[in-house]
Amino acid sequence: MQFHPTPNGSRALIRLEGVCKSYSTASGPFAALKSVSFEVKAGEFVGITGKSGAGKTTLVNMITGTDQITSGEVWVGDVAVHRMSEDRRSRWRGRNIGVVYQSFHLMPSLSLIDNVMLPMDFCGQFRPRESRARAVELLREVELEQHALKLPSEISGGQQQRVAIARALANDPPVIIADEPTGRLDSVTAEVIFEIFAGLVRRGKTIVMVTHDQGLVERVDRVLQLRDGVLDAA
Amino acid sequence: MRPRWRKVLADLFGNPVRSLLVVASIMIGLVAVGMITILHRTVSDDLREGYQAVNPANIQVRSVPVDDDFIRHLTHLPGVQDAEGLRVFDLRIRSGAEQFKSIRIKAFADIQSAVIDRVRLVEGRWPPGEKEIALEANRMVDVKYRVGDLVEIKLANGTLRSLRLVGIVNDQTIGSDGGGAGFFLAPIQGYITRGTLEYLGQPDEMTGVHLTVSEGQNDLAHIQAVADRVLQEFERDGVATSGVVVRRSTDHPNAPYIEAIKAVLYLLSFLVLFLSGFLIINTLSALLNQQIEQIGVMKTFGATRFAVIGIYLALVLVFSLLGLVLAIPLANLVAYYELGDIAPTLNFIARGARLVPESLVIQVVIAFLVPQAAALYPVLRGTGLPIQRALSGAGSSAEMEMDRLTLWLSRLKGSSRPMAISLRNTFRQRVRLALTLLTLALGGAIFIGTFNMRASLESFISRLGNYFIADIIVTLNEPYRVGEIQAALKRLPEVETVEGWATASGQIVLPDGQAGETVLIQGPPDGSVLVKPIMLKGRWILPGDRHAVALNEYFLTRFPDVDIGDTIKLKIGGKESEWTVVGFFQFAGKNIGLMAYTNYDSLSRETHTYGKSVDIRATSTRKGLSLAEQEAMSLRVEAYLTGLGYKVKESRAGQTIRGRTTGGLDALTNFLLFLSMLMASVGSIGLMGTMSLNVLERTREIGVMRAIGASDREIFRIVLAEGILIGLISWAISLAAAFPVSAGLARAIGSSIFGTPLPFQYVLTGPAIWSGVILLFSFVASFLPARSAVRMTIREILAYE
Repeated sequence: MQFHPTPNGSRALIRLEGVCKSYSTASGPFAALKSVSFEVKAGEFVGITGKSGAGKTTLVNMITGTDQITSGEVWVGDVAVHRMSEDRRSRWRGRNIGVVYQSFHLMPSLSLIDNVMLPMDFCGQFRPRESRARAVELLREVELEQHALKLPSEISGGQQQRVAIARALANDPPVIIADEPTGRLDSVTAEVIFEIFAGLVRRGKTIVMVTHDQGLVERVDRVLQLRDGVLDAA
Repeated sequence: MRPRWRKVLADLFGNPVRSLLVVASIMIGLVAVGMITILHRTVSDDLREGYQAVNPANIQVRSVPVDDDFIRHLTHLPGVQDAEGLRVFDLRIRSGAEQFKSIRIKAFADIQSAVIDRVRLVEGRWPPGEKEIALEANRMVDVKYRVGDLVEIKLANGTLRSLRLVGIVNDQTIGSDGGGAGFFLAPIQGYITRGTLEYLGQPDEMTGVHLTVSEGQNDLAHIQAVADRVLQEFERDGVATSGVVVRRSTDHPNAPYIEAIKAVLYLLSFLVLFLSGFLIINTLSALLNQQIEQIGVMKTFGATRFAVIGIYLALVLVFSLLGLVLAIPLANLVAYYELGDIAPTLNFIARGARLVPESLVIQVVIAFLVPQAAALYPVLRGTGLPIQRALSGAGSSAEMEMDRLTLWLSRLKGSSRPMAISLRNTFRQRVRLALTLLTLALGGAIFIGTFNMRASLESFISRLGNYFIADIIVTLNEPYRVGEIQAALKRLPEVETVEGWATASGQIVLPDGQAGETVLIQGPPDGSVLVKPIMLKGRWILPGDRHAVALNEYFLTRFPDVDIGDTIKLKIGGKESEWTVVGFFQFAGKNIGLMAYTNYDSLSRETHTYGKSVDIRATSTRKGLSLAEQEAMSLRVEAYLTGLGYKVKESRAGQTIRGRTTGGLDALTNFLLFLSMLMASVGSIGLMGTMSLNVLERTREIGVMRAIGASDREIFRIVLAEGILIGLISWAISLAAAFPVSAGLARAIGSSIFGTPLPFQYVLTGPAIWSGVILLFSFVASFLPARSAVRMTIREILAYE
């Protein structure tokens, strides 16, 4: 990903400017994000916290482009995410953003190695033989190489989340967005996952992680606190 | 292999039950279409080519006796290939201890070298020698003879003669003489050599010539031209003719029934395509619903919509291929089984299984087009969802929201909690419900329509009863004074009305002066109470009419220029006479041929039998006799008349003709029932698919219900009630849908067989039977999903993703 000065001259990797997101509900429009603006620099490990319903997931969805903003701007590097069509966003996201979900979202019918190879297949950054070797390497990094041919249902939740991280790294994206990656895990396993993230930051990756875990919040570079769709502190 | 294609295979084998349902949905449609195509082709081919293979006569001439030299002379006429003399006459064959039935015996001038109207030996040997006979296989059920037995034939003078039965043959030309009512009304058929004629009291003379043309066997105009030349020779030689029939070598006498079957097949193939399409849309929609979350994940990791569409269409392609591989042999199996069933009923030879290329092509094209087209909507819908909605698995949330109807249904007073859940579940996947209902209702409509079509046929045929009101019809060997017979029969206490009718077989004289098709002419006495015509146009014969005729509706098709007030020429007994058309009546269309009614006086003067009759009709003092009672009465009357010295040729029940005609149409209704059951199974597979998918989607919900105390029995009841409710709703819809389907069937079949639409009938037999069938199908379709729902442990269910 190339870093170009954004319109205000900063060198942030991720920049949100006056982002609003509202949903229509049975009782009328609901504002999930109210003019949120912040920046994340390359190599930063940023945590996003807030109570349930504060808008944390909505906020990271704006960064990944998996949801459409109502108003404002979202920049990742030199790319105006808010201006892209969904199809272009998919291809761009596959190459530039790794996403890790609380509920893993692995393909239940595919083996672990195939799950890791799938993003490489869609984005075509690696040749088939390369992608296989890379998937094995990524599984080795998360210490699951020996389980490569198993199905997700045959391994534990913690192991599934490690596979999800390996999958997020498949196309070697500079940014990792993790939405409560430890939310379904016990504290010991959560610690393992956090250490993996910390290692990635040390290798230069930029990570934005939504979490409830106060212990983990204290260990990230910077914390963004969301309350009712409004950013408290940056 | 790329991971995306591995996902296709993994999805295919990962959930075998679901895959089987989709493959079955595709397969059943392909089987139906394949079977229909195979039947369509093979029935036509076998009928046409099989008939052609027996070298049927192109020209049949009935005449006064002709000598062999004249027949040989005919073979030298231009355009004539072969000419063979024959003598056809009716006697009676013993069919029981005291029972005799009519037998039509065909004596060949030279049976050893006969090449026209060849028969196929089924059992024994051919040809029969002197004092030997071969019988036709189709009517063997009417007599209990076996090859080697002595067959007893009653001559016109009452003498009994025994002939050795040496062979049982199949004769595809039965009904080809065109003047009678075809194959189904034909009596028992016997075949003898010329040498046996004298033994049966017949003169050694040929009274008919069958000819084939040397070329243009399928060109009716050419055959007619050759026939005209042949008839000129008859005239030149002073040989009076009494009937001529021209036919193409491919015109099997039962072709109208095949046309009806083909018309139904066309209609059904159209419906089957719809059914199959609905079924595929339904199962694939459900499959896509289950995959919504995965679509969201794939799009998160870089898959474009196009790539995702490609994955699912590839999956559908694999389903289609599997469906096709299974459907091709199955369609052949079912088609050739059904062909084997239809062939003997319609008197043609099924040539057995063979490859029908167009069936393969149609199946392949449909397999690659219909499922893909059907999948396109759910695939586009599934892949078009925003990622967040897809990831939250809320792809069908709009459908899952309960509307007022669902809420109202689930709060119905008196409904138990499980019943309320069943009601709610039934209506919450409305698109799926609609497609399932459509599939089942269409199957039901065809099923009900089959019964209605049968009722229409029966109603149509019962109208023929208006022309056969007599309880018994006695045919005498020679004309007797009507007054004497009436007096004799009136002495029997069970006899009420007796009428002597005049009958004749004539020919219509064409504008060019040539004698054309045979016309069956009936002459009831003035004021007859034994015929109640159904008039289409004009009026019936009135007392005092002279040379007035009422014609059946087939005249309107054959001679559209003939109208009321016109004069037509008929050749009766070799003499031409003019008749004024006073009306047109509804009979049985082209199935029967040309028919005319006049009054007794006019006809009997033409046949020189004034005051006499060979056709005596009588009614019983008791009304509404059954067929069996009529048959018993006919036997008593025959014995009585024979006792008085009258020579009775045949005595039969009035309902016989009706019964035989209806019997012939059974082949058609059975075929339709078979097809409607096929439709019903398509529907039930659809219902089973819906129920399985509904249960599969609610696995977690079922787990929660069980976790909070629902017993297996209650879960079972909820799932079963849902399936049965869907079945019952579809039943109600099928009652209405059966109206247009029945009307379509009545129109298609009526037009094919009779040349006129059948009267529309709606009988309750179909709905009553279908209600049982649909309840059974619904039960079976929901039983398996219900059983699988209660078999899973709560832990398994709650862990279900």
